[in-house]
Amino acid sequence: MTSLSSKPGGWKGNDVAAPLPRIHPVPWAKYLWVIWIVLLGLGSIGIYQRLTQGHLPAGYGSYVPWGLWIAIYFHAVGIAGGAFAVGALGFILNIRGLMLPSMLRTVIVLAIAAMAPAALAVWLDLGHMERAHRILTSPSFTSMMAFNAWMYIVFIAVAMVAWVLSFRRGSLWLKPVLCLGVFLAIVIPSQSGAFFGVVDARPFWHSALFPILFLASALTSGAAVLLAVRGALGPEAFAWTTPDPHAEHDLALSYLRRIVIGGLLLYFVLEFAEFSITLWNPGSHSPEIHLILFGPYWWVFWIVHLAIGGILPLALLLSSQRRVVWIAAAIVVAVTFLTTRLNVLIPGQAVNELRGLQEAFSHPRLTHTYHATAMEYLVGLFLVAVGMAAYFLLRRVGAMLAFHLAKKGGAT
Amino acid sequence: MATLERAASANGSSAPLSRREFVRAGALVGAGAVTATSAVVIDRRANAARDPSGQETIRHLTVLNNVPPAVDEDVLLRMQRDLVKAIAKPMEERRWIMVIDTRKCVGCHACTMACIAENKLPPGVVYRPVITEEFGEFPNVQIRFTPRPCMQCDEPPCVPVCPVHATWKRADGIVAIDYDKCIGCRYCLTACPYGARTSDFGEYYSNGAAEGAPEGADRPILGANLPYEERPNNEYGKPWTRTDHQSPMGNARKCHFCLHRLEVGQLPQCVSTCIGRATYFGDSSDPDSLVTELVTRNNVQTLLPHKGTKPRVFYIV
Repeated sequence: MTSLSSKPGGWKGNDVAAPLPRIHPVPWAKYLWVIWIVLLGLGSIGIYQRLTQGHLPAGYGSYVPWGLWIAIYFHAVGIAGGAFAVGALGFILNIRGLMLPSMLRTVIVLAIAAMAPAALAVWLDLGHMERAHRILTSPSFTSMMAFNAWMYIVFIAVAMVAWVLSFRRGSLWLKPVLCLGVFLAIVIPSQSGAFFGVVDARPFWHSALFPILFLASALTSGAAVLLAVRGALGPEAFAWTTPDPHAEHDLALSYLRRIVIGGLLLYFVLEFAEFSITLWNPGSHSPEIHLILFGPYWWVFWIVHLAIGGILPLALLLSSQRRVVWIAAAIVVAVTFLTTRLNVLIPGQAVNELRGLQEAFSHPRLTHTYHATAMEYLVGLFLVAVGMAAYFLLRRVGAMLAFHLAKKGGAT
Repeated sequence: MATLERAASANGSSAPLSRREFVRAGALVGAGAVTATSAVVIDRRANAARDPSGQETIRHLTVLNNVPPAVDEDVLLRMQRDLVKAIAKPMEERRWIMVIDTRKCVGCHACTMACIAENKLPPGVVYRPVITEEFGEFPNVQIRFTPRPCMQCDEPPCVPVCPVHATWKRADGIVAIDYDKCIGCRYCLTACPYGARTSDFGEYYSNGAAEGAPEGADRPILGANLPYEERPNNEYGKPWTRTDHQSPMGNARKCHFCLHRLEVGQLPQCVSTCIGRATYFGDSSDPDSLVTELVTRNNVQTLLPHKGTKPRVFYIV
């Protein structure tokens, strides 16, 4: 068997004692299964409603056309891009804990898996799901939506090429392909910000800061999910690739912890920069900011986003050296950072410059208020289940391929 | 806490990338960036005509042939003559505009209802709401009605955001939607500063209502659509039936100046129905048309001019 690790001093060729790659059971597997089954069961109810009743049970309308699913879509895309950017960059820069090909594959699988619920979320949101292919077959690249869709396809293709190359020992194409992947992984969440930034009709969205804000959010939530996944997998999952899996594990978690801390601080600085404009220029987009801070969903910002999603994980990550605490903090960040999307998406639509439009014609779908319905929440749970399943399946496939290649003597 | 440290890469170099890898990475990223930028620029520059033009669009209608013009004739007759005259030109030489005299509008909403009837709009879809605004405090109070059709902007923000070329600006100035192409993403709804686009979410007026007698052959059928709700409309000159999730259900919808009526020499329904003669319609490329006469006055405004959309609906204030 040839080298199974890029780390000097790792398993060497013809080393009969070197273990074959195998899927090490995740320590918390049974709990994850229970969570997944619950999510799938509840989510299936929402999917059934969506497929049988269309958009009728949804809370969005014509003046607030996008709701919870679009927020989930952008959040999942951010996780995909952020996780890939952080993980692949760690591999390219030979950062201990992230420089193992097996860890790189974990990153790639996570990024691709996160695209599955994203695509499903936006697909379910379409008025004509059967025409979704048109966005690829006859795209208009003047639309950030079509441009994004194509970038996702290219990103997934590049990630898959990198995944295949990661099995080839000493490939001189792996890092160049990863560089392209990192470029795309940075561009994609930034484009999510630009998706809103180009809409001149919504003053709150029409900000050049949004691409950077979305990128910061993506890097933070992506690193958090990666930390949670790496932590959940445990050091044993990488035991076949390195003689010292515990040290690698600790180094990986430490690196990701720093990224999450830095990302959280950066995000809140950028958010303050955006909000601070209204302090000195209340006319800019104060109605939207007022909605975020003091509207009916004030608690989303103050409690979920700031307290639970910001202060709490920062305190946990800075004060504790326990890995399980870091993992818990990372999960909190990964979940609560959905509010960074919601707090952009909904307030931007909830204010219209044309005053009196809502009162001009009365209908529940012609209002500037939005409350997600039970169907939307249930579908949201289904999307989480899809993401978990996609990761599980892709990881299985990857592990089987790694096993096959290792037996043939070509794996890294 | 563990420290971050660099280790030797697989190829034995201490640098993250070898020279060859660096060149390859630069080439891949550069090629990707150039391809992406080119795709956007090419689509931005492309302006392929997708509507018929030239001689085939000319119509010689006989409407009002037997009604001689009169000096004090109803403005509807005047606009009808202007319309017939415009239709006799190739499409690309017509420039439809609408002028709304807010001083005459009484807020009766007849135009809103006529539009709903003409286009058989379902619940939650409206093309021409009338905005009511009150100013001042009693006894110095003023009220203003602002009908808001689609502005048919010359710089329509709804067009470039469409990801599938399903909406475009016609040569005659009307912003059209191809219901067969629209995927229902609703990006155009968010892009319109006037809120002129609404989505057809598939609602019926009879949703949840019982129809028929308590028992027998006419027993109540919950959720059944009434026949009038399944009659086709004629938007864009084509019959559209809202059954089995067919378009325009699931699509973005908006005012199109009753294009299907214009093509046969009829004024938009909201113009014909306006009891106060407050809405005018015609061809602004005709210097003798009524709308050209009206729009060149100095008390004419557009909605949200700072958005730079160049609306083709003008308001006399």
